[in-house]
Amino acid sequence: MPRLGMVIDLKRCIGCQACTLACKAEQGTPKGVFYTRVLEKEEGTYPNVKKTFVPVLCNHCQNAPCERVCPTGATSKRPDGVVLVDHNVCIGCRACYAACPYNNRFFLAKGILSQGYFDNGLTPFERMKYGELQEGVVAKCTFCVERVEQGLEPSCVNTCTAGARVFGDLDDADSEVSRLLRQRKGVQLLSECDTDPSVYYLWG
Amino acid sequence: MQTSVRSTSSQAGERWIQSVCKMCLHGCGIRVRVKDGVVVKIEGDPTNPDNLGKLCAKGQAGIMRHYDPSRFRSPLKRTNPQKGPGVDPRWQEISWDEALDIVTEKLKKIRETDPRKFIASIGDFQRIFNWGWGAVFGSPHFFTTVGQYCGAAYHPINGMVDASFAAINDYEYCNYWIQIGCGDGFSSHLHLAGSAKRMADARVNRGMKVVIVEPRLSQGAAKADEWIPIRPATDRAFVLGMMHVLVHELGVYDRQFLKHHTNAPYLVGPDGYIARDKASGKALIWDPLDDEAKTFDEATIRDFALEGSYAVDGFTCRPAFQVFKTMLEEHPPERMSQICTVPAETIRRIAKEFGEAARIGSTIVVDGVELPYRPAAVNFYRGALSHKDGGLDNMTYKLINILVGNIDVPGGHLGVPLDPRGFWIAPGEDGMLKPQVHMLHPPFPFSFPPNSSQLLEYFPIGMDAGHLNAETLLNPQKYHIDFEPEAMLLYHSNPLWNMPSTRKIQKIFEKMKFIVAIDVVPNESNEWADIILPDHTYLESTCLVSLEPPVVTDDALRQPVVPPMHNTRDATDILTELADRLGFLGGWNDLHNFALGLVNDPEQLLGPDKRYTMEERMDRMAKARYGGDCGLAWFKEHGHRVRRKTAQEQYMPYGKLRIPFYFEFVKKMGAELRQNLEPHGVQWDYSSYVPLPFWRSSPLHDAAPRYDLYAIGFKSPELNFEENVTIPWVYELIHKLPSHMGVLINPATARARGIEDGDLIAIESVEDEILGVARLTEGMHPETVAISNGITRWVNHPTIKYRATHFNALLPSSLEHTDYFTGAFETTARVAVRKIEG
Repeated sequence: MPRLGMVIDLKRCIGCQACTLACKAEQGTPKGVFYTRVLEKEEGTYPNVKKTFVPVLCNHCQNAPCERVCPTGATSKRPDGVVLVDHNVCIGCRACYAACPYNNRFFLAKGILSQGYFDNGLTPFERMKYGELQEGVVAKCTFCVERVEQGLEPSCVNTCTAGARVFGDLDDADSEVSRLLRQRKGVQLLSECDTDPSVYYLWG
Repeated sequence: MQTSVRSTSSQAGERWIQSVCKMCLHGCGIRVRVKDGVVVKIEGDPTNPDNLGKLCAKGQAGIMRHYDPSRFRSPLKRTNPQKGPGVDPRWQEISWDEALDIVTEKLKKIRETDPRKFIASIGDFQRIFNWGWGAVFGSPHFFTTVGQYCGAAYHPINGMVDASFAAINDYEYCNYWIQIGCGDGFSSHLHLAGSAKRMADARVNRGMKVVIVEPRLSQGAAKADEWIPIRPATDRAFVLGMMHVLVHELGVYDRQFLKHHTNAPYLVGPDGYIARDKASGKALIWDPLDDEAKTFDEATIRDFALEGSYAVDGFTCRPAFQVFKTMLEEHPPERMSQICTVPAETIRRIAKEFGEAARIGSTIVVDGVELPYRPAAVNFYRGALSHKDGGLDNMTYKLINILVGNIDVPGGHLGVPLDPRGFWIAPGEDGMLKPQVHMLHPPFPFSFPPNSSQLLEYFPIGMDAGHLNAETLLNPQKYHIDFEPEAMLLYHSNPLWNMPSTRKIQKIFEKMKFIVAIDVVPNESNEWADIILPDHTYLESTCLVSLEPPVVTDDALRQPVVPPMHNTRDATDILTELADRLGFLGGWNDLHNFALGLVNDPEQLLGPDKRYTMEERMDRMAKARYGGDCGLAWFKEHGHRVRRKTAQEQYMPYGKLRIPFYFEFVKKMGAELRQNLEPHGVQWDYSSYVPLPFWRSSPLHDAAPRYDLYAIGFKSPELNFEENVTIPWVYELIHKLPSHMGVLINPATARARGIEDGDLIAIESVEDEILGVARLTEGMHPETVAISNGITRWVNHPTIKYRATHFNALLPSSLEHTDYFTGAFETTARVAVRKIEG
C-alpha cells in the first residue's frame, strides 16, 4: 500500500496561482472556498526586501487532529494516508474546522450551493459540479483521489507551471517525492503540532 | 502519471478533447474534459511540448469565460440612443439577417463614398490573418494599441537584428540570465506555462543565476538571485553603463564574433555612413596586418581592425566598433547611476559577472554541430523599451548581447519567430542578413497627405502607432487628414480601455455615427456599439494556432469541444459574409491567400467568388503549410504538430550572413523620411534615426517638478494579457493578493505625503487624474507607484464591483511622447500623488 504525499518546492513556486484555479475547476468549489491557495509574504525594507510564495492545502496528516475530534467518524484516514470527509456522515459540527492547525478546512454553509459565481443563476458547469457537493458539511482537499484512481495526478500538481508540486508514494524510495526529500530535506509545516503531515516543503 | 490524451477517462459520458487555449494570445495546448455535454475541466495537453502539460490560472478559468451569462447570445441592436461609459445600451435581440442588413447598409454607403471614413479596430491575435479586413475594405487605419504598449519598438528591431519577431534567452543552456522589465519564465510574455517550467528547471536543476532589473518586486524579482530596483524608463542607462565597463574597463567582448558575424569592423566615414569602395560600392574594412582598406568580402583579408582611425580616400574612417567604443566613453557607471539610481558599483559588478559568465571563446556541440557557447544573456521586454526612445532602448539591449557574441547561439539570446514560417532569412546588403521590420503587414509607402489615421506613412520602420489616432482624428487639419471617420468596427478589441488618453478616445467614440462589434462578452468599448455580432468562444470554434512559441514550432488545432451554446457565429465567417455583402469578397479571399500562406500551394488558393468557411480556410492553410495529406482532418485526429525546434532551426539559422552591430539601416531610413517629409513643411523629429544608441533625457524625465513620481502599469501571471477580471474566479483570486489590492507605493514615499495603507489617493498626470487606494509595500522603488491591470476595468459587467483605477488614462498620446523611429510611445507617466481627505 502506498503512502500518498506531496512535496512542494518553494524555490520553484512562482506564485502564479494556476494551482488555485485548477483546484477550483476540478473540485467545483463555490465562492470563497479554496481547497488550495498560494500565500504571499513580504519581508524586509527597501531595497533589501524578499517575497515568498507558499502554497497551502490540507496536509493529510498521519496524526490528524481533525480525525481525532470528529464525533461521527466522517473524517477518516485511508490506508494510503489520504484524509477524507464522508459528506454523508458529516453533521457539520465543525469540530475538525477548529482542530485543524492549518486552517485548510471549509464549511459549506446552507445556501452556498445555490449562489453561483455570477449573480444571475448557476452556470451549467456549476450545476454539474455543485451536484457533487453538499451543504452543511465540512469540505477540503482530497488529494484529488478520484483523479489519482484514474491514473492522473492531482489537479494542482498537473497544472503547476513551475513544477513545484510533486505527488507520489512517500514509502517508495524510488519515487520522485522520496528522492526530493532525501536530496533537499523536506520540512513539514507546524512540526511542533506533531501532526505528521503528508505535505512536505523544500525551502532551500 | 501522465496518460495519453484519448484514454484518460473510463467514466461514462466523459471525454477529453485536444485543443488550444485562447485566454491570452499565445495558445498553449489544452485538453478539455467534457461530461454530458458540459465543459468540466481544462488542462494542459501533456502531449504538447510547448506548455508541457501545464496551464496557467487564466487558462484554467476559461470555463467561466465560456459559461459567462453575460455573453452575447444573439445579434443585438441598441435601442438606447444615449451612449456613454456605463450607459445601458438596452440591447434588443435581432436575427442575423436583420443585423447583417443593417451593418451592410451603413458600411456600403461609406465604402462607396470614401472608405477612409471607416475605422477598423481589431485585436484578435490568434486570427491575425483577419487583421487586414479594414484594409481590404479600403481603410488603412489601425485604431488600437494592441501590441503597441509592448512590441512597437521590440518587433522591428528583432527583425532588424536576426530576422526574428520576438526573443528569449536560452532556457536550456543559459547560466546567467539578466531580465529587464520583462516577465519571461515568471509572469507575462511568451507562453507562460511552459516557460515557467523551463525557467524553474534552469534555476533549480542547473543553478542558473537570475538577475531582475525593474522598479517593482515582481514575481520574477521575488524568485531571482538578485533584484535590482531601478528608476522607470532608465534601463538603457543601466545597460550603457554595463557596456562601458565591459569595453573600457574589462576589455571583455567577443572579438571573433564581432569581426566575422557582424558589421562591427565595417569602416564608418565622417558622415556616419559605412565607407564604400568607389569601384564596387562594397563596404570597406581595415586589414591591420596589411595596413590597408579592403572590401568586406575580399579573399585576402588577414584580420579585421575593430579599433583605430584610418585615412581612406582622403577621409578619416573608423571601424563601427570604434565609433561604438567612443560613444561609450560618455556613459561611465557613475553618470549612468545618477540617471537610473542603480549604484555604480552594482553596475560594475553585474557587468563583470555577466562578462565572465559569457565564457567568450568557448564552444559546445549540439546535435553534432560545434557552436559558440555563450551562457549569459540579457532578456527584456515592455518595461525596458516601451518608452519615448524605445528604439534606442532596444538597440542597447541587443548590443550588449551582440557584444558578447551570444545572439542565436547556445546559452545566449535567441530569436523567436512569429509563427512556423520561422526566421525570415534573406541576404541583404554588404554580406548581411536583410532587415525584416514589417512582419505583420507590408509597409505603407510614404504619402503626403497621409491616408492612415495612425500616420503609418511617416514610420518606415515602426509598427502602427495606434495611439496617434487620439491626436490626428481630433486635430485633422494639423495632421493634414482630409477625411472624417464616422463608422467603426470593433472586433475583439477594446480601444477605450487599452489606448492612452482615454478622454480623447471617448471623444472619437462620440463622433462615430455607427459602431458594429464582433465579440464574446461586453467590454468598455462594445457597450458603445449599435450592433453586436456575437462570436463563438474558443471552445466552440476552429483555428490553427502557433504564435511566438519560444522553444517549439508548428501548429496546434483549436477545435470545437462543445457545440455553440448560443446563436453565435464564427468571427471569420461573419467577416466573410460582410465582405461579400459589401462587394469585396475577392479581395478578402485574396488577403487570406497571402496571410494563410496559400500562395505556396496553388491547389489551395481561394477563388474570388466563394464564401469559404473558416474550416475550409484552415483546411487549406494546413495543406499549404504541411502537405496535402495534412489538412484539417489530420489535425482533428492528431491535435497538433507542435515539436521542438531543431538546433539548425534555432542556432544561427542564417549561417554566415552578418547581423548588425552598427544600425546604418536606421540612419538611412531616417534620411529617406526626411527627404520625403521636408518638402511638405511637416515638422518631424529625426533625432532617433541613429546607427548607435546613447543616453538622452525625455519629456518623461523632464516633467514639471510637481509630478515628482513615476507611475507604471504591470501584469502578473494570473492576469497575463487580456480576458481576465470579468471572470469571477480570477476576480475573486486577485482580491486575495496584495499586489492587486490598490496602487502600490513605497511606505516611506507614502508617509512623506501623509498617506497610509488603505487611504484613498489621487494620481494626477499631465493627461488626467485617477483615483485609487494606496497599498504600501517595501517592494517598490521609492520614486514609483505601480498599478496592476487587474484594477483598471470599469465595464458594466456583474463581476466588476470596484472603482476602477484606470492607468492608461494617465498616458499622453502626443507625438512629444512618441518615438519617431519605432512608433512606440511612453508607457510610463509622471504623476503627483496626494491623499484624498475625508
